[in-house]
Amino acid sequence: MTDEKLKHCFVEALGVSASEVTDALAYNEIKQWDSVGHMALVAALEAEFNLMLDTDEIIEMSSVAKAKEILGRHGVTFA
Amino acid sequence: MKLKDKVVLVTGASRGIGAAMVKVLVSEGAKVVLSARSEAVEKLAVELRAAGHQAEAVQGDLTDDAHVRSLVQTCRSKFGGLHALINNAGILHPGKLGMMRIAEARQMFEVNVLAAINLTQYAIRIFPRGEGGAVVNITSIAGTQGIDGISAYSASKAALIGFTKAAAKELAAQHIRVNAIAPGFIDTDMARQISPEWFARRVESVRIGRIGQPEEVARCAAFLVSPEAAYITGQVIGVDGGMAV
Repeated sequence: MTDEKLKHCFVEALGVSASEVTDALAYNEIKQWDSVGHMALVAALEAEFNLMLDTDEIIEMSSVAKAKEILGRHGVTFA
Repeated sequence: MKLKDKVVLVTGASRGIGAAMVKVLVSEGAKVVLSARSEAVEKLAVELRAAGHQAEAVQGDLTDDAHVRSLVQTCRSKFGGLHALINNAGILHPGKLGMMRIAEARQMFEVNVLAAINLTQYAIRIFPRGEGGAVVNITSIAGTQGIDGISAYSASKAALIGFTKAAAKELAAQHIRVNAIAPGFIDTDMARQISPEWFARRVESVRIGRIGQPEEVARCAAFLVSPEAAYITGQVIGVDGGMAV
């Protein structure tokens, strides 16, 4: 369920297809995930999981896998 | 009412120009979140709610990241987000070159520049996606012209102008407008603390021939955050009665 929520955030914020959202997907690797897309992604994650990320965490969030790790610190668990 | 149901966050909101801004904003229909170090900010929010407006206060220090986060959380939890941010909080430690305490200069940069940058970073994350929003930074005529005796303050306000212009470029693609207001000699507690001789000299330097009122700065801020200013970004608007002309 949380995996789906996370995927939904990426799809909504970056305008990518769900199949593109894999752990390996990384910041700046696709044109949609640039600095503007990153901010939209942060906003989507914060709203979806009802949390607030630190600036350091936002900078650190360089891939889908990393996003899961960071959200894990806020108590979000993934399958 | 040009700001009906818009959520606006104002720092340094307990007195002077900040308090005037809050009153103008709510009169235009805005919901406001107020930040200030002083307890007076809580009292102002209570007064506004008693008058039928929607207002929330968060007392704290903008150089404390926990306060910044608390402000953003309040915007989100009480009003569902944010449409505009007014970075008004500022401090002034006068000091002539050679007699300036560097700790005081550093503190001015912390509050006048870095706190505004940090809060802006947080705030833009909760602007409505796709709709954008507005940021207004309250700088000073000291930042545009430089004023002797307050060189470090002048430098901090000039830095805020640099941030305004760069942020306007960086955020335009997200429909976020960033502007600054440079007030001149405005009738605040700070202005009334100077000697009568200095006061008279300052008024003489105002081409319109009188001190400005906080409401006059507030009206400009309300305009800049409103849809009426939809095509204005990266600008520094002087509200100074012609002092800088």
